[in-house]
Amino acid sequence: MQTAASNHVSVKCRAFLVVTACALALPGAAGAGLQVWFSADGTPVPVVRNGTTLRAAVEQLIAGPTAAERSRRIRSAVPPGTSLRSLTIERRVVTVDLGARFAAGRDEAALQARVGQLVRTVRSVPGVLSVRILVEGGVPIGLFPGYDLRRPIVTPAERVFSTPTTRDLQQRLVDLGFLAESGLTGIADFQTSTAVLGFQKWANLTRDGALGPTTVAALIRATRPEPALRGPGRRIEVQLRRQVALLIQDNKVIRTVHISSGAGGKTPRGSFRVYRKERYSWSVPFKVWLPWASYFTGGVAFHEFGSVPTYAASHGCVRVNHYDAPMLFGFAESGTRVDVFDEAALA
Amino acid sequence: MTPRSVIGSFVRAFGVVVGVVGCAAVAAAMLVALGLPAQGRADDGPPSEPTLIPEPRPSTLVVALDLRDPVRQAGVVKGRDVILARGLEVDIAREIAQRVGVPKVRFVYVRPAARLLAAKAPSWHLGIASIRATPSAAAAADLSDPYLDTDQAVVLRRGLSRLANLGELRVLRSCALRGSDGSRALATVVSPAVNPLLPSSAERLFQLVQTGVCDAVLVDAGDVGRFLAGRGGLLGPVNARVPYGNGYALSVTRGGPIAAAEVGVALRRMRADGTMHRLARKWLQIDPARLRVLR
Repeated sequence: MQTAASNHVSVKCRAFLVVTACALALPGAAGAGLQVWFSADGTPVPVVRNGTTLRAAVEQLIAGPTAAERSRRIRSAVPPGTSLRSLTIERRVVTVDLGARFAAGRDEAALQARVGQLVRTVRSVPGVLSVRILVEGGVPIGLFPGYDLRRPIVTPAERVFSTPTTRDLQQRLVDLGFLAESGLTGIADFQTSTAVLGFQKWANLTRDGALGPTTVAALIRATRPEPALRGPGRRIEVQLRRQVALLIQDNKVIRTVHISSGAGGKTPRGSFRVYRKERYSWSVPFKVWLPWASYFTGGVAFHEFGSVPTYAASHGCVRVNHYDAPMLFGFAESGTRVDVFDEAALA
Repeated sequence: MTPRSVIGSFVRAFGVVVGVVGCAAVAAAMLVALGLPAQGRADDGPPSEPTLIPEPRPSTLVVALDLRDPVRQAGVVKGRDVILARGLEVDIAREIAQRVGVPKVRFVYVRPAARLLAAKAPSWHLGIASIRATPSAAAAADLSDPYLDTDQAVVLRRGLSRLANLGELRVLRSCALRGSDGSRALATVVSPAVNPLLPSSAERLFQLVQTGVCDAVLVDAGDVGRFLAGRGGLLGPVNARVPYGNGYALSVTRGGPIAAAEVGVALRRMRADGTMHRLARKWLQIDPARLRVLR
């Protein structure tokens, strides 16, 4: 009786071992080698390695990138020397039990990235549904930010750097004070281009009005423009070198506007006050209507103009683009202080 | 019946008798020890509270964790035990164990954290899980003195200089995470004169102060180090903190071998000798206790 029972157990054990062995030998993509996931500049990248089994894939992951891969800036967040304690598969759920080194370190991004690498590597083996991760035979909780490892993982959780959308960048321009809320269209239109010009002028970038990689990178790291001068209440700074006007309230820049001042230094420098405002102002010498005109010295005014190039081009007035002119007109109440200066000379 | 079976029956019967007598003796001894009256006496007046005699000091301090946060406490759960435990609260528990004379610490996993307060007969001596020292928590369990403040750190945008008092904060555009202690502190302590902004993600909160839409943000003082990490130069100074709440306390099992007062003494000593500052710097980067209080 006892012999029969133990035989039965033995048969079950053998069957289990056979199933497990078959599972561990789960082939990778036939003939294509294994995909092992590392990262390059924060972006997950797969590399192809020889081997056919799941275990081989995880072992290759732990081994890390080769010297040639490292020279291509490919890196691994999995600590070298991490041990693979066991690897089993049941109903397409792979359980990987790793040594304590897998949880070493306090860099949250690295901890998150190593789980992502493991999940991507294991999931890239055909037939695998999800990955259960154990450390020293137990369930890690709270160790890997962004992951609840009490359950098998299907999708990596770490944020992969992605190019911001046009709307994201418009939001950033609004936040920084270069674009009005009405410019949040999701389309890189002329209003956006005008705001980008203002930002490029402020950040001393090439003034092309386009959201190119350099401009985008600068936008992501940008902070709000700071006034060059200090003073109470509402005022406007016209910075001639940058060709921008800063609209300031209590030393905080509310908006930064792309302008074009007088060519050849025709806009007088100094400290003035807005003294006359006209919704439409007739320019006697140039015989042209100037919309949204706020005069601050003699016949020199802020006003809307169709052409606002990236350089000083006017006869002395401060040309303001179509989108910002009404707003600037509203801001520049009579008596508002206007400081016109070359900021480089000020420094 | 063989002689062996006779002897066996005798031994079993003797064992039962000894067992019954032994149990009765132990029960009587416990009653005496607990000071319970052996029989009611009418002239005794109202029954007095039973005096709980503390258990003898254990060789291992059992500390309950809820493993909610990689900085405060995290680990690997194996059965009920937590191995590879780490974090500020884990280190604080280890320090307390040393200071109350218990050489070993065993961490156990208890979730949800509410069980740390609600358990009737807990199998742990201390619970540490960012328990807020509120009146309701204090009613449910013995709480230690706070080991960490729940105050709100004030982070300013670039270009602003340090604030001298709450009045200066009031006139700024302040922001906090929607539904956070920061948003509650804004409403109850700061009372801003300008409508505050309450974004729903920490990332957006950061963007708002980076771009200067918000002049100041309120962040849990314990989390401000993480909020600033890797963002040098994009923000202004961590100005100070706004007092809020009663801090985080440990729950101490009633009638257990460690008294809440002992834990309080250990915490005070840790604060006095700089241990708490060292641990806060190690895990939080910034020691909230060293931030100036804005009044």
